[in-house]
Amino acid sequence: MIIEFGHYALVLAFALTLVQSIIPFWGGITGNERLMAVASPVSVMLFILVLISFIVLTMAYLSSDFSVLNVVQNSHSAKPFLYKFTGVWGNHEGSMLLWVLILVFFGALVGFFGGNLPADLRALTLAVQGWVTAGFILFLLATSNPFQRVVNPPLEGADLNPILQDIGLAIHPPLLYVGYVGFSITFSFAVAALILGRTDAAWARWVRPWTLLAWCFLTLGIAMGSYWAYYELGWGGWWFWDPVENASFMPWLAGTALLHSAIVMEKREALKVWTILLAIFTFSLSLLGTFLVRSGVLTSVHAFATDPARGVFILGLLCIFIGGSLALYAWRAPMLKQGGLFAPISREGGLVLNNLFLTAACAAVFVGTLYPLVLDAITGETISVGAPFFNLTFGPLMIPLLMAVPFGPILSWKRGDLLAACQRLYVALGIALAMTLFTFWLWGMEKVLAPLGVGLGVWVMAGAVSEILTRVKLFEIGLKRGISRLWGLPGSAWGTAVAHFGVGVTVLGIVTASAFQEEHIQTMRPGDSVELSGYQVTFDGAAPRRGPNYTEEVGHFTIRKGGVVVSELDPSKRVYTARQMPTTEAGIYTTGFSQVYLSLGESRGDGAVDVRVYFKPMITLIWIGCVIMSIGAVFSMADRRLRVGAPKPSRKRTAAAAPAPAE
Amino acid sequence: MMFWILIAALTAAATLAVLVPLSRNRQPAGAAASKADEAVYREQLETVDRDLKRGLIEPEAAEAARTEIARRLLSASERQTQTVEKSERSLQNKIAIGLAIVFLPAATFGLYIFLGSPDQPDQPLSARLEGPAQGQSVDVLVARVERHLAENPEDGQGWAVIAPVYMTIGQPESSARAYANALRIVGPNADWLTDMGEALTIANQGLVTADARKAFDQAVSLQPEAVKPRFFLALALGQEGRTDEAVAAWEQLLEGEDETQAWVGAARAQLAELQGTAPPVANRPGPTEEDIAVTSDMTAEDRQTMIQGMVSGLAERLSAEGGSVDEWNQLMRAYMVLGEKQKAETALNDALAAYAENPDDLSLIKDAADQLGLTGS
Amino acid sequence: MTRKQMRLTLIGSAGAVLAVALGLILFALNDQIVFFQSPTDITQNTIPDGQRIRLGGLVEEGSIVRSDNAQVEFRVTDMENVVQVTYKGILPDLFREGQGVVTEGIIGTNGIFVADSVLAKHDENYMPKEVAEALKDQGHWQGGEATAN
Repeated sequence: MIIEFGHYALVLAFALTLVQSIIPFWGGITGNERLMAVASPVSVMLFILVLISFIVLTMAYLSSDFSVLNVVQNSHSAKPFLYKFTGVWGNHEGSMLLWVLILVFFGALVGFFGGNLPADLRALTLAVQGWVTAGFILFLLATSNPFQRVVNPPLEGADLNPILQDIGLAIHPPLLYVGYVGFSITFSFAVAALILGRTDAAWARWVRPWTLLAWCFLTLGIAMGSYWAYYELGWGGWWFWDPVENASFMPWLAGTALLHSAIVMEKREALKVWTILLAIFTFSLSLLGTFLVRSGVLTSVHAFATDPARGVFILGLLCIFIGGSLALYAWRAPMLKQGGLFAPISREGGLVLNNLFLTAACAAVFVGTLYPLVLDAITGETISVGAPFFNLTFGPLMIPLLMAVPFGPILSWKRGDLLAACQRLYVALGIALAMTLFTFWLWGMEKVLAPLGVGLGVWVMAGAVSEILTRVKLFEIGLKRGISRLWGLPGSAWGTAVAHFGVGVTVLGIVTASAFQEEHIQTMRPGDSVELSGYQVTFDGAAPRRGPNYTEEVGHFTIRKGGVVVSELDPSKRVYTARQMPTTEAGIYTTGFSQVYLSLGESRGDGAVDVRVYFKPMITLIWIGCVIMSIGAVFSMADRRLRVGAPKPSRKRTAAAAPAPAE
Repeated sequence: MMFWILIAALTAAATLAVLVPLSRNRQPAGAAASKADEAVYREQLETVDRDLKRGLIEPEAAEAARTEIARRLLSASERQTQTVEKSERSLQNKIAIGLAIVFLPAATFGLYIFLGSPDQPDQPLSARLEGPAQGQSVDVLVARVERHLAENPEDGQGWAVIAPVYMTIGQPESSARAYANALRIVGPNADWLTDMGEALTIANQGLVTADARKAFDQAVSLQPEAVKPRFFLALALGQEGRTDEAVAAWEQLLEGEDETQAWVGAARAQLAELQGTAPPVANRPGPTEEDIAVTSDMTAEDRQTMIQGMVSGLAERLSAEGGSVDEWNQLMRAYMVLGEKQKAETALNDALAAYAENPDDLSLIKDAADQLGLTGS
Repeated sequence: MTRKQMRLTLIGSAGAVLAVALGLILFALNDQIVFFQSPTDITQNTIPDGQRIRLGGLVEEGSIVRSDNAQVEFRVTDMENVVQVTYKGILPDLFREGQGVVTEGIIGTNGIFVADSVLAKHDENYMPKEVAEALKDQGHWQGGEATAN
């Protein structure tokens, strides 16, 4: 009964999205405020309905109800509780339900917190969100219904793909989806703005918190996915330029560009046409990613099941939404008024530069990801575009962008002074040069590019710090007053600086981990040792062990530094019983920001085993940097000027809470 | 019924979410829209002032920004939002109300009837495994015993109960493993050894493997006169190509046996084949394979009847003819692993009554009952 | 600067960045892509020395020879032809005899393929997509239909 209730709630949600697609839209274009008022309560109701069906599906998983086909195919009664839970979205149907849940969640957020929006914009935005939701619920019900029942339920399920049985699965997809799907709301805002002809600075101001929210989660989701692949696949790599990774990286690049161009639109009413286009592109890339991953065009852990009907359906949705929005754009965009002017050297100019490089990089990733598919479809020739392609195209486009990052926030609006900006940055430049020389001195000339890369990372970090210090004029007004001014800085200023600092941290991590890593692949017998980067890794032996739904061969290793034991690691190779599928569990010892990484290969009888040993200097900085970037986004969202919510009460509150001016 | 009430309530809630905002009076949209715009631009003006105070921007830049924002403020307040005639408006509202009251429930219900299966109950695994044994499919009963054994892997009698069941549902490997466990825990037993050998043989398409031979040998050493193990041993000799020994074994086996026994025919056929006097019968391990063939053709209900028949057969025989202490204990145990505590208690009481005059046996039964957590009454 | 100059500068710099990006992409596409080849392709066509290729097929049963220091040799077959592969490193979890595999590397003058990466990433059929297609071309693969669920 409960399961059918969840099924019914999903069907009801579909019918309600149709109502949502029609009534507020009609009201919005004809100015009937009663019809517009329907949008907000219905958006909340939709969220409740989809949430009910999601909770019901979760309950079916937790109670191992094998009368639900989806549970039979993806669960197992012996699976640990956590993986029964996370298994809900570890398969095609469940993950699409999560997709829809996040879609309506963002709609409900706008419905609930959108009190400061004009009624027509809010109604139309929610109606457009309703169109997207209707398309995806129809996709669920028609091709991948998670509530399909089995008449004679079996007693055991087929278990979850073991690679997905990891805490990473609990965190990575929901984060990624919130980001991915979150850009749907900026898309809806953009389409609504085009329909209403209302693209002005205020629009950009209203959209920005939503972009920030989606971007923040997408950043975390990608970072989490990267770390998960790093320790679960056992290859020691953290980014493979795999098409599925690219599918999530392209919306990130476009979304980052959108974040920056929206600032120009908000402050100067310039770049309107471009910002709207970016908003459409970002979500289109999210849809494209979903298509690539879900249609089975690509082979990967993420491609749960391949069914041509699903691919065709998503392709249809893709064409309708992207084609429709671009057609609307082509029709309405020429009517938009031109905005403010600016000189090439100015804050706007810097943000334009940022957009140019980010979109060019996004285009490079796009070509590299889709070219093999297109070539295969046209000529039947199978090629692979791997890391060398992306290193050669993406890398050179990022370097000038990173060099320019510290200048951007320091230039003033409209007309900037590059020389003055340079003067403000000379300390940062000095630190970066010093670090470059220091790295050269440490490593010599054998790796010429690496010290330059280190310098680049430090330059971005130091630039971010010096931006904050310049803003409060710390050196001019003294420490005490400086700190109090630091406190009074607007959240968006902090957000910019923190996020840029995070970029520098990630760059530093990427450079050091790639250039200075040490790797040994060796067959080891018990008692054998490997020396690397000052650590001595000794293999003590291997023993079998049983887990709840797998058996594993666990190697025991002792890590010593200067003869002193610093850590013991137990990397293992597992075989999951239900699917007879092996996985590798890496052993990782973190010291400072660096890691010693062990993964086991084949056993060779006689107690010997192939072992892969890495020393990855400062590798954790890659992910720490991403977390810092997201914290930056949170700072920006916390800016009182951007705070979402009904305008009147929140303004009263902030006026009371705002600190007295420092003067 | 409950289900229909619930979905009716849910549908009503969704309809209300549309109807309530439609029925309220609102201020005209145009005014509200320009207010929202103005709020943004006023904030921007405040920001410029604050930045100027902090010295973050030059006074000229602040002035330029203010002019720009003021221009936006002006154009926002001039914005004209189109509004429709009152008559058209009320028509719109009626259509919207119609959508909510008619379309929403009708579409949802129609689509759900097409897609859903409202009559199918939830079937969480634990409930299926814990419900009454009566009327459950044989798979559920097996899963229940398996769960019991997973928790009590040292329950030898439990393994002995499930082993023949595995045979009847066509899983000879599992059956052999169960017999092996029972033998390891309880100790050697000629019948179990024989059945284990048979299971191994069937699992190998009728080939008597070395493990199976070992089991049959051990069974014969425990019970030299037993027919079944000797039958398989003779078969093994034939399969190994030791024709003379096989012929001797078959002849010894058939010596003085009752011709009406089912296995005799098969044995004669084997013997004839070995002696080359009969058309060869394709590698027949004996009647057992046919048994399995029969059971695997059975429907689920037939199997269920069969498994319950096995337990109730034992129960009937014990209550009618009486039986050994071991048999009584086995019955109680069978009921317990099938989750039928009530019947186990009854069996205990019957057993206590049957052995009331024999204190030694009585204490054996009581010990077994204690282990099972039975109290008797 | 006049309005026109400002716009020209903007368009000019945009054009420059896009031209650079386009140039990079075209250059990289020419140089850095790797073609997928089956053992039959390798035997029939001549592949220029030092050209990176992806070789895909099935790991021939009984062909895996391991030596110390994680050195592995095996043969990749598409049921028509066979290529000897040598690789130093840890094989992926799903690398097995008789299963599909994709290796990337350079073919040596002695005809032995020196792989620097071995992939066995695949769906539940234990078959990389490229390999499945190559085998289908050779008529040795009938799977793939039964798994739609």
